Amino acid sequence: MATTTARPAALDPHQHLAHEARLTVDDRRELMRYMLLMRATEERALNLYRQGKVPGSFYDGRGQEAVSVGSAFALSPRDRACILHRDLGAHLLRGVRPGLVLAQMMGRAGGLTGGRDGNMHFGDKDLGCVGMVSMLPDMALVACGLGLAFQMRKEPRVAMTWFGDGSTANGQWHEAMNVAGVRKLPVVFVLENNQYAYSTPNSREFVVDPIERAAAYGFHGVKVNGNDVEAVLRASAEACERARQGGGPTLIEAETMRMHGHGAHDDMSYVPPEMLEEWSQRDPIETYEARLRDAGRVDLDVLREEVKAELDSETDWALAQEMPDPSTATGGVFATEDPVMGDGKAPWSRWAQEASNA
Amino acid sequence: MPEITYLEAISDGLREEMRHDESVFCMGEDIGEFGGAFKVTDGFFEEFGADRVWDTPLAENAIVGAAVGAAVEGLRPVCEMQFADFIACGFDQLVNVAGKMYYRQGLAVPMVVRLPSGGGFSGGPFHSQNPEAWFLQSPGLKVVAPSTAEDAKGLLASAIRDPNPVLYLEHKNLYRRVKGDVPEGRYETPMGELRVAREGTDLTVVSYGAMVHTALEATEDIDGASIEVLDLRTLCPLDRDGILESVRKTSKVVVLHEATRSCGVGAEVSSLIAEEAFEDLDGPVVRVTAPDVPIPFSPPLERAVLPQVDDVRKACHDLLAY
Amino acid sequence: MPQMGVSVAEGTITAWRKRPGDWVERDEVIVEISTDKVETEVPSPAAGRVAELVVEEGATVDVGTLLATIDTGSKPGQPHADESDPPPPAEEAEANGNGKAPPVSPVVRRIADEHSVELSAVSGTGRRGRVTKKDLLAFLEQGAAKPAERPLHIESPYKEEPAPQPSTPAEAAPTGEGERLSVMRRQIGEHMVRSLHEAAHCTTIVEADMTAIEAARGRLSYLPLVARATIAALREHPRLNATLEGDRLTVHDEVHLGIAVSLGEEGLIVPVVRNAHELSHEGLGARIKDLAARARSKQLSPDEVGGATFTITNPGRYGALLATPIINQPQVAILDLEAVVKRPVVVTDGQGGDSIAIRPMTYFCMSWDHRALDGVGAAEFLGSVKRHVEGWSD
Repeated sequence: MATTTARPAALDPHQHLAHEARLTVDDRRELMRYMLLMRATEERALNLYRQGKVPGSFYDGRGQEAVSVGSAFALSPRDRACILHRDLGAHLLRGVRPGLVLAQMMGRAGGLTGGRDGNMHFGDKDLGCVGMVSMLPDMALVACGLGLAFQMRKEPRVAMTWFGDGSTANGQWHEAMNVAGVRKLPVVFVLENNQYAYSTPNSREFVVDPIERAAAYGFHGVKVNGNDVEAVLRASAEACERARQGGGPTLIEAETMRMHGHGAHDDMSYVPPEMLEEWSQRDPIETYEARLRDAGRVDLDVLREEVKAELDSETDWALAQEMPDPSTATGGVFATEDPVMGDGKAPWSRWAQEASNA
Repeated sequence: MPEITYLEAISDGLREEMRHDESVFCMGEDIGEFGGAFKVTDGFFEEFGADRVWDTPLAENAIVGAAVGAAVEGLRPVCEMQFADFIACGFDQLVNVAGKMYYRQGLAVPMVVRLPSGGGFSGGPFHSQNPEAWFLQSPGLKVVAPSTAEDAKGLLASAIRDPNPVLYLEHKNLYRRVKGDVPEGRYETPMGELRVAREGTDLTVVSYGAMVHTALEATEDIDGASIEVLDLRTLCPLDRDGILESVRKTSKVVVLHEATRSCGVGAEVSSLIAEEAFEDLDGPVVRVTAPDVPIPFSPPLERAVLPQVDDVRKACHDLLAY
Repeated sequence: MPQMGVSVAEGTITAWRKRPGDWVERDEVIVEISTDKVETEVPSPAAGRVAELVVEEGATVDVGTLLATIDTGSKPGQPHADESDPPPPAEEAEANGNGKAPPVSPVVRRIADEHSVELSAVSGTGRRGRVTKKDLLAFLEQGAAKPAERPLHIESPYKEEPAPQPSTPAEAAPTGEGERLSVMRRQIGEHMVRSLHEAAHCTTIVEADMTAIEAARGRLSYLPLVARATIAALREHPRLNATLEGDRLTVHDEVHLGIAVSLGEEGLIVPVVRNAHELSHEGLGARIKDLAARARSKQLSPDEVGGATFTITNPGRYGALLATPIINQPQVAILDLEAVVKRPVVVTDGQGGDSIAIRPMTYFCMSWDHRALDGVGAAEFLGSVKRHVEGWSD
């Protein structure tokens, strides 16, 4: 699997940096809660889809919850995120309520795009998120632009972006990796390798494990178990630190499995059943739950109850939202004022700690 | 008021904006120490530094995409495509990411993409295109095309201050051939307003970019007729009222552009006139454009394809006689 | 006729899409047919020029019948049979080069409509002789007279030189627009048109010898005396003193006599002498004079204009002999008194001897409504008027 590069990449002076992400009990609880919230929201959304309330297509990230939750947990409020369709956890972590997500999927006026875009094509700009487009991985380049702004203004801020294994075949991915490497942009590239790009397995997508390409573009790359939320968090926190300190970009390849089809319309019959069976044993929520129960510090039953209650009230809210007024369809093409992006929530206790230390 | 070239006016305008607002910065290939393929950013690297004058890798999607990211975070990037033709390599980011961001998310993208466009100097098929029509078909993008030095400076300033993605078509063949009195200091030429290059009563020529000069030359004296020449200046949003006002006056229209014929600005303007000023027409709306061919390299072939003064003269003459 | 389905035996031509002389491509639809199973378009089996349509639209023929012939040896681009000349080259400005009228551009049509201009009166300098916007604007500026309607075949645009007129240059050629009729004129016109439209107008004329009237009238005009005679006749023939509305005839007891008064250029008005049957001829004279004066000075009240049962009009002093007046609705008759002219007439003395005498003669012209009366009734009435006039005694 390893390749020999013509010229070894320059050694990253911060490569030895192994940031021990310090987590309190509450932090762990939050990690669990957001994974549960992501799964519950997507399950509820799938139900709504099957009830005919969701126009168009439906995509979820079942089985990949640890990737988006673990990586987004590392972001500080002033960081920015370009979130993809299987990373609902990142949206929730930044502060988007599940009801808004459901309303968005149902095309309601009260949803995050007012019905102007569907499924996971949204990003709450007031929480520092930029919404995705269908063409992948276009957002990787937008993240480079965000990083460019931080760099030019000499701010210790990070842009994080997610994409899948298929994207690494695309020219824009290479342009993003190259530009980030050339300028040492403060970007964290999270590659969710969920084994399939729609029906295309890795073996047909690339010959070289994408993690090796980080070195090819001159920066650090690390491969982690994408179903271990704390492992993902550690790698992400380290990558963010590197970026903040001017050490340039990082590519994190999180190995995981897409447990549902490409979309609800896909029966994923091309996936060998034994593969699914094997990965279901490694479910990120169940495995983390087991660890937390062993440690005995988090009341998981209460947590599940809370999440369910939250989803119930959020669903009711979303279902009560109206459909958009057709007469508004042609307005709002051009802006009249400059953009204003807000900061996201960041539940990691470290930020509160640092803020009080400051 | 100093008389400077069209090229100097663009350079001047960009420099003024960068001095005025430090969030304005340039990105493009060879624009740094080299000063740009056409020397528009000559001296900028020395004045503004490597950060604000970024020599990018050869990657148009990266240029445009990164510009989007920087713009939503509050900077004002001015991208340069080395030739307008290469915008095709950044098409996806421009059309799908930049153009649709505000409509979908309410997130404005204040960025400019400078496009050195047009032919007439044996540039061949990939260095001579006028790609504006591609983007007129794509909602969310504004498009401007100055023809005079004065407008070149003022429209660039407006484009930079506009909170939307703006494509700025600078015609390469005008860089050194056109001079004009250009006010010193900062000023903004309003977008969405055409300029009457010459007033007239018998026929209107609607044009933009380099062809405005061709139109003026061709219509100086055609059988003593009084011919009005309009310089659109902005292609999106189009100054519909300005066009219709002229049509009501003269009732005869020739639309002239260097870009190829099908579905171009000429088609749009013709349609607009047919829909909104049908009862003011005393003859068909005629287009003079390049035909639907790639722009050839060898001079006699190129001349046969790009609209020449005689082509315009003949079209006006025939329409006057209709 | 193609075989459309196994059981189909015949078909009907619904519509020919090509006519003789047209070019048709192979597989291009040439005719629409209908059978009891289907309606369908039939593609041409060959390319060529349609020579003859053998079966006409609407006809039903057996399957296999020849429908049309196509000349496959002809070439496209050859002139159509209808075309006499090849189309003229675009550069030449021709008037009616191929028999078609030149087009009217949208702006020319609009401006022509706005000014009610007949374009055939405007000379065109545009292509194929068409009228351009400039031509039309120049035409309007000159203020040329515009004919209100399309000139007839026999009318030529030739204009005779106008006879020299004493008018000053200020009395220029009338403007193209013309003058709108006054409100009174329009109302009179409407009334007249309606009257003619509704009533079955007939006019009966009776000659009368005015010697006795002339002798009796003194300084009065003869109008009040004739009016008195008319009223007497109306008493004898009450059916003439009536109004007809729809099919409802109302014979009136009272005579309210309308007297037409000319207002000069402005028009005319018919003030009414109410209960004229109660007045002597002097009284009639006085009332008529007063009404006429007040009519001319516009001092009539509304109930003095209306409600007449019979009208007399008297334009006689202008010298006209006969007239066919229009009935004043809703009355059934109107009496027109024309000029009194001295003429030689035959008079018969008491012994039955005839001789020629010079007598003042006049014609009483009465238009009456045949819906209410017949010619006999009209003539009898007029005979009575004549008798009262000729036998006038104070």
